[in-house]
Amino acid sequence: MTSFSSDRVAEIHRQLHIHLPSEPALRVKALESVLVEKGLLDGRMIDAWVEAFAEDIGPKRGAQVVARAWVDPEYKARLIANGPAAIGEFGFLGLHTSHLNVAENTDEVHISSSARLCSCYPFSILGIAPNWYKTAAYRARAVRDPRGVLAEFGVDIDDRVEVRVWDSTAELRYLVLPQRPAGTEGWSEARLAGLVTRNSMIGTDRDLTPRTGEAV
Amino acid sequence: MWSMAMLIWVADWTTDWWRHVRELIEPADYLTRRYFDQWMQTQTAALIDSGVLTLEEVTSADLTSAPKRNGSAIRRSDVIEMVAALAKDYSRQTEAPPTFARGDSVRARSMGATGHTRLPAYARGRVGVVHAHRGAHVFPGASARGKEMAEHLYTVAFPADALWPEAAGRRDRIFVDLWESYLEQP
Repeated sequence: MTSFSSDRVAEIHRQLHIHLPSEPALRVKALESVLVEKGLLDGRMIDAWVEAFAEDIGPKRGAQVVARAWVDPEYKARLIANGPAAIGEFGFLGLHTSHLNVAENTDEVHISSSARLCSCYPFSILGIAPNWYKTAAYRARAVRDPRGVLAEFGVDIDDRVEVRVWDSTAELRYLVLPQRPAGTEGWSEARLAGLVTRNSMIGTDRDLTPRTGEAV
Repeated sequence: MWSMAMLIWVADWTTDWWRHVRELIEPADYLTRRYFDQWMQTQTAALIDSGVLTLEEVTSADLTSAPKRNGSAIRRSDVIEMVAALAKDYSRQTEAPPTFARGDSVRARSMGATGHTRLPAYARGRVGVVHAHRGAHVFPGASARGKEMAEHLYTVAFPADALWPEAAGRRDRIFVDLWESYLEQP
């Protein structure tokens, strides 16, 4: 049975470090082989998950939610009051979104999200987290130097704008509702959703103004 | 969580135990390895600890053969359903009334915890303002030891200039979700 002992697990990790291949691809392969061999992991499941997250479960879901909030003020109010129920209207509630909080950007406020202690991410609404989100560098700097991080993403925040960084230390997850850009009056939801970038829903993108010549 | 869908989930595991196992990976590895690599290591270590697998079985594995794929493919639509079904509610009822309310000044405790904690070091000893009370949630320190317990959870806003010397003069704020036992009167 599970020991719940930190010391015991630390020792197991040490042994794995010593005995497993140091080359990452080989190490992962070794682990996958033995787990599949023992019937503890189903390789077909990995394939199906990789495919589902490539094709179906990704930022397009979040973009649909954002576009709906832009065109429908009552939906937006529901989304901010109760994120899980509102995304549930689309069938998007699921992994890591039971406690979803939606925070909106305004002219005075820019929201950004991170997970200092893990890589906690609202998977069922945004898909798989981008690699940069999971790096020790982003996780440390997002809380310490959010403006520096944003600048590296090409986002310059005026000094008069307050930056709010949401650190996912509990099971609450965060979705940023970016501002609807000017010049999009009368656009359909589908067309609006096409403007919403994944990074804008994480908080490393802010201005979604369509460039001239944007495809319809 | 990947593991719940892709692996046998040992009955007494909790989300917080699993996270704690990942945090126990040797620091050099933890900081440099890619996510899936860490995930595999975490699963393997946790399964060894729970007695489902042995170290010997892992280290004597055949590294040259491709993992088998038996039977027909699992459908994407199955995964979509699974992802929806993996919504998990961590809120709990508790008799204890909340100690703090929105607008209260609070200090994050200075003492480090033994074992698993979700109080980040950068907030320790710092004073913030309660932005929201989230009700009671499963308390991770206990959950990481296999025990179910709930405490009131708060989102606390820390001015950036209370945390970092270089943020002096900035209006920015860091919002952190903290359980009641992490907090005290300032």
